[in-house]
Amino acid sequence: MNNSNVQDAADLLDQAAQSGEWITPLRDIQPAFSIDDAYAIQQINTDRQLAKGRRIVGRKIGLTSKVVQKQLGVDQPDFGALFDDMGYGSGEVIAWGSLHQPKVEAEIAFVLKNNLDMPNPGLVDVLDAIDYALPAIEIVGSRIDKWNIRIVDTVADNASSGAYVLGTTPRNVKDINLDLCGMVMERRGEPVSTGVGKACLGNPLNAVVWLARKMVEVGQPLRAGDLVLSGALGPMVEVQPGDIVEARINGLGSVTAVFGTAQEVSA
Amino acid sequence: MSNIAEFAARLDEAARTATATQQIDPESVMSLEQAYQIQAANIAHRVERGEKLVGVKMGFTSRAKMIQMGIDDVIWGRLTSDMRVEEGTALKLSDYVHPRVEPEIAFLLKAPLAGDVSASEALAAVEAVAPALEIIDSRYKDFKFSLPDVIADNASSSGFVIGNWHAPDTDLSNLGMVMSFDGKVQHVGSSAAILGNPVRALVAAARLAAEAGIPLQAGSIVMAGAATAAEWLLPGTYVRLEMQNLGSIGFHVQE
Repeated sequence: MNNSNVQDAADLLDQAAQSGEWITPLRDIQPAFSIDDAYAIQQINTDRQLAKGRRIVGRKIGLTSKVVQKQLGVDQPDFGALFDDMGYGSGEVIAWGSLHQPKVEAEIAFVLKNNLDMPNPGLVDVLDAIDYALPAIEIVGSRIDKWNIRIVDTVADNASSGAYVLGTTPRNVKDINLDLCGMVMERRGEPVSTGVGKACLGNPLNAVVWLARKMVEVGQPLRAGDLVLSGALGPMVEVQPGDIVEARINGLGSVTAVFGTAQEVSA
Repeated sequence: MSNIAEFAARLDEAARTATATQQIDPESVMSLEQAYQIQAANIAHRVERGEKLVGVKMGFTSRAKMIQMGIDDVIWGRLTSDMRVEEGTALKLSDYVHPRVEPEIAFLLKAPLAGDVSASEALAAVEAVAPALEIIDSRYKDFKFSLPDVIADNASSSGFVIGNWHAPDTDLSNLGMVMSFDGKVQHVGSSAAILGNPVRALVAAARLAAEAGIPLQAGSIVMAGAATAAEWLLPGTYVRLEMQNLGSIGFHVQE
C-alpha cells in the first residue's frame, strides 16, 4: 500500500479520537489495506502520541477468543499500545467524555520483571519474566462508527484500546489456576458477563507468549516493568454513564470500574 | 381441569418412547400452577413404574432468561432415578427427542431443607457438591413450546450426570467451567451465572419443592441450573465438563 494512503488513514483515526466524530470503516477508504498496513497505521499514531509526551507502559492483546476471531474472520490475536494516561485504579472515577463508544471486558493483567528480548520467547521465558498478576477491566473503545470493525480497522485503531482499570493486590502466577479461574462481571448485583481463563487462547499465558514473540519480531520486545493485558475471559459488555462494574476473577480478587456521568464531563 | 391427566399421560408417553408430541398450551393461557400439576402427574407415571424421586432441578436461573421468558422466578423439575446417566458411560441419542446438554453444579443434602431458608441454612444442609451435566430434552414437536409447556414437560429435564462429590468447603460463587465436545471447547463460563451464586438456586429449590409438597430430604439431589447456554448433543462425541476446584466429568453419546 502506498504511504500516503496509510498516512491518511492514521490522520483520520487521530482526528476522530480528538473530535469524537467517529469515522467509517477503513475498508471504505481503501479496501486493499492489509494487516501489515494496519499495523503501520497504528505505529504512525503511536509515534504521534509519544511525540506528545505520552509514555508506553505496556501492550494489550486483542482478539483472543475463538468466537471473536471467527466473527472477524481471523485466526490470530492482535496487539495495541497502552499509554500511561489510560490507566485507572480500582474505584477511581473514569471521565465519561474521555471514552470512545466504551465496552468493558474482564482480563488478567501481567506485569513483567524481566525483558523478553530473546529470539522466539516461549512459555518458560514468559513464566520466568512475570513478576505478578492483577485482575483488570479493560475499557475498549473504537474510533470506527458503531464498532463496525474488521481486522484492519481494529489493528489500525490501536487494537480498539481505550482505558483500563487494575486491581491492587498483586498475585503470584504460581498460585492461580489460569485455565479454570472463573470470571464474573456484575452490574447492580446482576452477572452481565461470565467466563473462564481458558477463553483467552486456551490460557492467558498462551496470549502473552504470542505477544512476546510478535514484539520481538517487530523489533520492540517486551521489557521489565511492562504491563500486559492478556485478553478477555468472557463476552464484552456495553456500559452507560454512571455505571459501576465489578469483575471478580477466582484466585485474583476483584476490580471495580466506576464511570462518570455524561453531565460531569460537560460541566 | 380435566385435561391434566390426559396431558400428563401424553407427555410421559412422549418422554418414555422418545417421540415428539403436540404442544399442550401453544397460546400460553394455562397458569403456572396448572402446569406444575401436569408435571407432578407426568412424573407420577414414572414413579408408578418403579422409578424413585431423587431430587429436583432448577431452570431459568439467570436474570436474562427470566426476563426473556417473562417471569420473575426460577422454574423447577423433578429428578428420578432412571434419569441418572453414570459418569464415563454412554447414552443413546435415540432415547431422547431434542437432547441438549448444559454444565451445572449439583448439591447433595445431608439434612431436610424446606421452606424459606437462608443461604447459610441451605449450605449447612449440604453434604457435598459436584460438577454435573444436565441433559435437557424438550418433548414438543418442532422444538416449539410456551412457558407452561416447558414446566409441564418436567422443565425439559431428562437426564443428569454427576461427578465426584466434594466437601462443600470451597467458595461456589465463581467457579470456572469449560464444556467441551471431543476436547473442543463448546461453552465456557462461571458458576456465577447461576443466579450470581448457585447457593441461591438451592434456597429457591427448598422453597419451591416444599410448596409443591415434596420437601427436600437428606439424600436429595439439587441441580442448580445452567452456567452456560445449552449445546445440542451429537452422535459419537465425548462430552466433558471441567470445573475449577471440583474436577471433571464426561459421558459418551451414541446414535
